[in-house]
Amino acid sequence: MTTLSEEVKNLIIETLDLEDIEAADINDDDALFVDGLGLDSIDALELGVAIKKAYDVKIDNNSEDSKKHFYSVKTLCDFIEQTRK
Amino acid sequence: MEFSIKKCVAWAGELNCAQDWQQFSAGEKSLNQETLKPALSQIPAMQRRRLSPFAKLALHCALEAGQGYLSTVPCVFASRHGDLHKTSKLINDVAAKQPLSPTQFGLSVHNAVGGQFSIFTGNKAPLTAISAGEDTFFSAIIDAMCKLNTNQYENILVVYTDEVVPVIYQPFVAQQEVSIGTALLLEKSTADNNSYQLNVGPSIEQKDENPIMQVIDFLSFYFGTSLETQVSSKRHTWHLSKQQ
Repeated sequence: MTTLSEEVKNLIIETLDLEDIEAADINDDDALFVDGLGLDSIDALELGVAIKKAYDVKIDNNSEDSKKHFYSVKTLCDFIEQTRK
Repeated sequence: MEFSIKKCVAWAGELNCAQDWQQFSAGEKSLNQETLKPALSQIPAMQRRRLSPFAKLALHCALEAGQGYLSTVPCVFASRHGDLHKTSKLINDVAAKQPLSPTQFGLSVHNAVGGQFSIFTGNKAPLTAISAGEDTFFSAIIDAMCKLNTNQYENILVVYTDEVVPVIYQPFVAQQEVSIGTALLLEKSTADNNSYQLNVGPSIEQKDENPIMQVIDFLSFYFGTSLETQVSSKRHTWHLSKQQ
C-alpha cells in the first residue's frame, strides 16, 4: 500500500514536472521551497491547487499557517490528515 | 526592403540542421509529423521543466541563431496560433469549472516565450510578439527591419514558431501544418553577401490560403539554389530575392 507521504511526493513530482527526481529522493523532513528542493512561489500556487483537488482540503492563501503546512512533505501530510474529511 | 541574414536556424522534427534543410530544398528529404524535440540541455532542469514543446522549439532556435548576442539583441517573436495546446487545455478547464493551473495561466500570453527567453538570457532589449495569420512569417521580418532601421540596431532576432493545432481546431485550418521553429539573425544589408530583398504586393487572384506554410516556402528558398521566389497568400504576394 502506498503511504500518504509517497502519494504526496509523487503528486509534487508530477504536478511540478520535476525531471530526474524520484519520490525516494525527497526526504519527509526536507524543506520544499528555496533551500531544500528548490521550489519557488509559482510552484507553491501550483501545489496548492493540486493538493486542494486531490484531497479536498481548504488552503488559506498567504496565511502564516499555510507557510508552515507547506514547509516539508511531513508537515503537508500532517495538514492533509488533520483537515480532510 | 533589404536586409542581410547572418544566421538561420530551423527545427521541424527530424529536419533540424542546415544540411537537412538543404536536402529538403533539393527534394531529398521531406517534412513529416515527427515530434523529435530539442533537448535544450543548456537550460537548467528546474527552469526547463516549465517549457512546453512550443517553447522548446522557439528557444532552441532563438538560442542558436542569436549566439554571441543573446543578452543584448532586440527580438521579434512571431506565431500564427501561439501555444494553442496550452491555451486549449486552460479553456477546457474553464468549461469544466476546474481550477486553472497558475503556471500554465501565467505562461498563456502571446509574449510568454519571449519573456522566458529574456529571463534565461538576461536580455532586457525591446521585444515584441506578433501574429498575422498566414502572413505571420514575412510580417515578422518587416516588423524586425522597421525596428532595426528606425533604432539603428546592430542586429535583430526574429523567432517564428507554430505547432500542429489541437485536434479540435483542425477543421478550421486550411494549411498543411507542421510543428516548426525558425530563428533568423538579421542585419542591415551591406555590399557583402547574404543580402536579401523582400517586397510585398497585392494578392493575385488567390481566393484561399496558400496550402504551404510561409516559413516552409521561405526555408526551401533560403537553403536552395534559386535566386528569386514568389510566395502568395490570400491577401498578399511576396517577392523574395537573393543578391549575388
